[in-house]
Amino acid sequence: MSDTAVKASADVVDDAHDSHAHPTETQYWLVFLILAVITAFEVLWSYLGLSGPLLVVPLLAMMVVKFVIVAGVFMHLWFDMKMLNGKLFTLAFASGIVIALSVYTVVVATYEFNV
Amino acid sequence: MTTATAGVSVADSHDGNEAHRTSLNLSNMKVAMWLFLASECLLFGALISTYLLSKARFLTELLAGNPIVEASIDNPGLVREMQETGSVEPLFDIPFTSFSSFVLLMSSLAMVLAHKAVSEADYKNTRIWLATTALLGSIFIAGQIYEFTAFKEEGLSFTGSLLGSAFYTLTGFHGVHVSIGILMLLTLLVLSFKGKLNQDRAETVELVGLYWHFVDIVWVLIFTIVYLIP
Repeated sequence: MSDTAVKASADVVDDAHDSHAHPTETQYWLVFLILAVITAFEVLWSYLGLSGPLLVVPLLAMMVVKFVIVAGVFMHLWFDMKMLNGKLFTLAFASGIVIALSVYTVVVATYEFNV
Repeated sequence: MTTATAGVSVADSHDGNEAHRTSLNLSNMKVAMWLFLASECLLFGALISTYLLSKARFLTELLAGNPIVEASIDNPGLVREMQETGSVEPLFDIPFTSFSSFVLLMSSLAMVLAHKAVSEADYKNTRIWLATTALLGSIFIAGQIYEFTAFKEEGLSFTGSLLGSAFYTLTGFHGVHVSIGILMLLTLLVLSFKGKLNQDRAETVELVGLYWHFVDIVWVLIFTIVYLIP
């Protein structure tokens, strides 16, 4: 292996290590506080006596925010995505979610229309 | 590809634990864990969908006054409340479940701090945070056992109704996952006390962390979909 190739490969690994820099302890605590506050808002919202979309849509939105924060920060997905130039995981997860939602919609539709 | 292959060689020279890095710059173990978690998404996706569909069918029959469905809950007072509200809301104790959710969120924080500590060779804090995560997980499981006992006493049995079967299967599967996570954490704790969990093995803690956070994420979904949207 030539010296140039070794240097280039070392740069790749170093870049990967650099982009793998994770949040500080204080930032983790801050993220936890945000999650706790969202959870408190969820519970509060469920006690407001609302129904239909007014109840469900904000609750689902808060759920998605919590999901993204835990997956992105605690599971380091945002940082690992940078390691892969943000392509592979994005593609894999986006296609997975589209397929899952499509299947779910079809299944629910079969019940709704008594197929 | 030559560069990627050379990258593996350089990674090899860093430490033994990096020996199996892929051309994605992620270790095989981490890719394998993500694939496993993807399969778990399918499992819980199916269980959550089953619960939603079963609950809808149960409520439709209950509100229509189907005597078989009414008899499937061994508590006439609870059945009447469900019929009046048109939901399964009277069954749940939201403040208690909110506390359980908070406990599981805290355990995720403890887990990520354990991984950070072992990455920085801070082994004392690694043990403290691993033990804290396992303890919080155990509190969650204790809460779930209490909740199941309370539901049983209220008349919701596993085999008695469609709602009960779907509910206990979904939350029970989640509880089993938390229990397996606690065993993993205790194993890491023992390894740490034996001096076998050092900075080079930080990825092992990260992998267990991925599993633990996934279990937390599933509860985020269950808490909203099952408990808060009645």
